[in-house]
Amino acid sequence: MKLAAGAFIAGAASRLLPPSIPFRFFGAAVAYHLLAWIALFAGAQSVPRFAGGLGWPLAALHLVTLGVLAMTAIGASLQLLPVATRQPVRSQRWPALIWWLYTPGVAAVALGMGMAAPRLLAGGAVAVVAALGGYALLLARNLIGARGMPVVVAHGWAALGSLVVVLATALSLACAYLGFSGFGRGMEISLHVTFTAYGFMGLLALGLSYILVPMFALSAAPDQRRAWVSLTLAVTALLLSAAASSGVAQQPLRMAAIGAGTVAVALHWRLMSVALKTGMRRELGRSFTLVRVAWALLVASLVAALGVAMEAPVAGMATLFGILLIGGWLLTFLLGILQRIVPFLASMHGAPGKRLPPTPSSLTAQRPLEIHFVCHLAALALLALAVVTGSEKVASAGALVGSVGAAAFAGFFFIVLRRMSAADLNAGRRQASAG
Amino acid sequence: MTASAPGGRLAQGKRWVEADGVHIDVRGLPPPAPLVAILELVESIGDTTPVIVHHERDPQLLYPELAEIGWTAVRIDGAPGEVRLKLERGR
Repeated sequence: MKLAAGAFIAGAASRLLPPSIPFRFFGAAVAYHLLAWIALFAGAQSVPRFAGGLGWPLAALHLVTLGVLAMTAIGASLQLLPVATRQPVRSQRWPALIWWLYTPGVAAVALGMGMAAPRLLAGGAVAVVAALGGYALLLARNLIGARGMPVVVAHGWAALGSLVVVLATALSLACAYLGFSGFGRGMEISLHVTFTAYGFMGLLALGLSYILVPMFALSAAPDQRRAWVSLTLAVTALLLSAAASSGVAQQPLRMAAIGAGTVAVALHWRLMSVALKTGMRRELGRSFTLVRVAWALLVASLVAALGVAMEAPVAGMATLFGILLIGGWLLTFLLGILQRIVPFLASMHGAPGKRLPPTPSSLTAQRPLEIHFVCHLAALALLALAVVTGSEKVASAGALVGSVGAAAFAGFFFIVLRRMSAADLNAGRRQASAG
Repeated sequence: MTASAPGGRLAQGKRWVEADGVHIDVRGLPPPAPLVAILELVESIGDTTPVIVHHERDPQLLYPELAEIGWTAVRIDGAPGEVRLKLERGR
């Protein structure tokens, strides 16, 4: 049996959103990416032993998770899923409305955390939860009407279920800062972290990979049966982790969850490796080097999770786990994929109806991506070193290098936008002169 | 884990030659085989022979891939319910 990834390839035009919608989400993500590194620089002195609590490191963490990861996931899934599951775009107004609610909400959450202003944080949290609730409804409607690609759709449902847990725990944690008590901070944080990173974001990343990786590698579709086994194990791992959060048999349940998660990831990695090895396009450049690094760091995050679960006597283990999981796996993967998606979508939108559209390679900008590649990996390495050595100066250096990389990535994004607009303008001029 | 089509190809697609070029019918193929089959055929052609594609839908995301390798596509008349494309190496 084969995945229905090619439904994505065929018949895309009628299912495309106007470019302004996905690109406004991507643009906001690019801006929040830079702000996240700047916030981390502002709070660098507490990064090496960060263990939660209001301040700029928490703001930087949420600028990445909400501002970059979820922002991009919303834009990408609203654009890709209707195409992949062979459905028309039902609404352009709702995605735009979600962006207008979500983007300032993220800013308020980050400022509330950074400046330790609980009311601002709570106000932002309400906006973010409302926007993500709206997105969840759009996603659910899309998944209900999906045709084909059952394992991708199942990943979508599992991510959606995780999002519900994330939103409930987020509201409860935000309310705790205003003096309302919830179900217990430790349990809520554990559920919130696991279901955000491995659940909502992780499952969306794994599911969308079954579409995107064969598409970019020009390979045959991955084996569906193994993809289902991988998903089943991933969901089992999440449920075991949730059971462990309740406090019963905590250590054995966490270790079982990590074991199931590791096998799920190994299966997924194997399927992706086969697609990359057998595809017509073997040279996928720096973007897929980042994707490969991200897969390796996903495994490393599980090893670190094991260290946390076994209470390994290593200072900063929980912080290191967070860096590997959020920065190493999710952010690295997303930036690798985003630098391929943006020029590809721009090519499709650059000159609609053209016999020969602008090529993705003519729209992209290699130099900023080269700078970003080096800076991003160096910044992650410096942050990990800062945690291991407990050095504030190394953490500052890491945040500074990360900021340079994020600025370079923003440069890449704006160059693509400018070239897309120029292609559109030139096509319009040619049509006008032909008419 | 990934099946190859006969003849060492990644994806199948019925191929035949007519006076107007090499034809490939990718209708009914499990995705992403249509895209892969078309690009495999296009990349195997060393001269200016056109390729005629018989498809179920307009393969919008094929066009950036074709542009990248210097090929163009135009829609031509086909059977009802069919999207027929003529692909040519750009001059």
